[in-house]
Amino acid sequence: MTHTLPIGHDGRPPDTSRPRPADDRCPRRRLSLLFDHSGGSDADSSGVAVARGPVHGRPVHAFCIDPGVRGGALSRAGCARIVGVVEAASREGVPVVGLWHSGGARIDEGVDALDGVGSVFRAMVRASGVVPQISVVLGPAAGGAAYGPALTDVVVMSDEARMFVTGPEVIRQVTGEQIGMRELGGPDVHHEMSGVAHVRARDDDAAVGAARQLAALLRTPGRDEPSAPEDRPALRRVLPERAVRAYDVGPLLRLLLDDDGIELQSDRAPNIVTRLGRLGGRRVGVVANNPIRLGGCLTAAASEKAARFVRMCDAFGVPVVAVVDVPGYLPGPAEEHGGVLRHGAKLLHAFAGATTPRITLVTRKAFGGAYLAMNARSMGADAVFAWPGAEIAVMGAEAAVGVLHRRALAALSEEEAAARRAELVTGQRTATSLDRLVAHGHVDRVIDPAETPARIAEALDSAAGGRSDQRNIPL
Amino acid sequence: MRQHDDRVITRRALRAVSPEIPGVVLEVTVRPGTAVGAGDVLCLLESMKMEIPVLATRAGTVVSVHVAAGDRVAVHDTVATIE
Repeated sequence: MTHTLPIGHDGRPPDTSRPRPADDRCPRRRLSLLFDHSGGSDADSSGVAVARGPVHGRPVHAFCIDPGVRGGALSRAGCARIVGVVEAASREGVPVVGLWHSGGARIDEGVDALDGVGSVFRAMVRASGVVPQISVVLGPAAGGAAYGPALTDVVVMSDEARMFVTGPEVIRQVTGEQIGMRELGGPDVHHEMSGVAHVRARDDDAAVGAARQLAALLRTPGRDEPSAPEDRPALRRVLPERAVRAYDVGPLLRLLLDDDGIELQSDRAPNIVTRLGRLGGRRVGVVANNPIRLGGCLTAAASEKAARFVRMCDAFGVPVVAVVDVPGYLPGPAEEHGGVLRHGAKLLHAFAGATTPRITLVTRKAFGGAYLAMNARSMGADAVFAWPGAEIAVMGAEAAVGVLHRRALAALSEEEAAARRAELVTGQRTATSLDRLVAHGHVDRVIDPAETPARIAEALDSAAGGRSDQRNIPL
Repeated sequence: MRQHDDRVITRRALRAVSPEIPGVVLEVTVRPGTAVGAGDVLCLLESMKMEIPVLATRAGTVVSVHVAAGDRVAVHDTVATIE
């Protein structure tokens, strides 16, 4: 069992007999929320507290900026402590959690402090993709203190968190606009609009709790024996009766995974869901189209969100499960001009390049380019499963008949055309039937929905597990 | 000042609900006076050969409904307003 060893500590165990300090924002309290047993540490004059301790039984490195020391402004010495923690975590191969509450660099130290912040950036980039880096923002984090978290793998924001490059006062002076800190860089805007925040939490406890969960899901798995997941008959009834009906994919994912897991960027591009969780104890990252939003269409924003998620999973060897029900890319000039090709290419790049095990499940339909983007066989999926009745095609059968037989149908009377069209649609369905897709190797197996967790677990266990040797650039 | 003004307008417009995706209205499921919760279905659109709901963005009471079955709606159109 690992014990909390505050770095630079005098060797005595941390004193937990003292009553909790009046200031809930002090590092000792905040770090104690992170570890399995209370045992944070205090900041020294540098304004940064550092600690190492068990999270769900295994070690994690952490640093915490003390807002009680000059508002948490980053000194050169404090930055050096952060660099030390990030490097130690990299050497040990364990996650590092940063608790942020800082106005930025300490202005009175001048370029020395700025230089310190630069060294933090460099340390974080060097550790990127090597060990999971989780940032928890618990108060204002401005300038360098905002870019620090933004460089890491996952950003959790509490309700009190505010992140921005330049604050309201500078904005007012330069552009004349008046805007409050919350409207400028609060958890809502970063969760829904900017994509900076991955998880929103109501308070310190919930935010640090999310970091505990993330550390456990992203780190290299221990010796836990994964189990064979039980059948879930409810999965047979989870899709709407009518194939054209939209539905929320959330309940389906909850039946697939052991528990809720943790969803990242839930309010941004909600037409795709990215969720970390466990399947029979195995950690997995799930990427799922969500038909209740935009019909589950892929968009530029959804592609970028999923690409970053897949790359992060790949960096830490977390297997990816794609749950596919996608009608295509959302058509329109807004998407084309918004860079759907550029952002969509990120998702193709992420899947095609991933070496972590990746399994695809087509629940209902997968059409055209969006079929490929959701980890098709040709993109390198280790296994592709389909539920009975799933449609995989260049486009839906009706649309395909319209394109392929437009002239022939136009030459017929209205009545004849309707009959002929129905005939052709049936033929088109046969041509793209699951039997044929299995025979051609595009799909490995059509599976009973109830057995889905077990089939995916088997496929994960037999896949050659790899992980990327690349950095996790904040896409 | 322009961006700031836009922001105020956006906030005021929170009461108007627009579809996320263009389509043809299949069915309107609320009428003025209907109490809705955030995420409740206001109407169904046919789009991308699917039936896609327009969801209430907040809880409240439907004040007005601006579409009927058969209407073609665009992303910036108002489907209903909620107070």
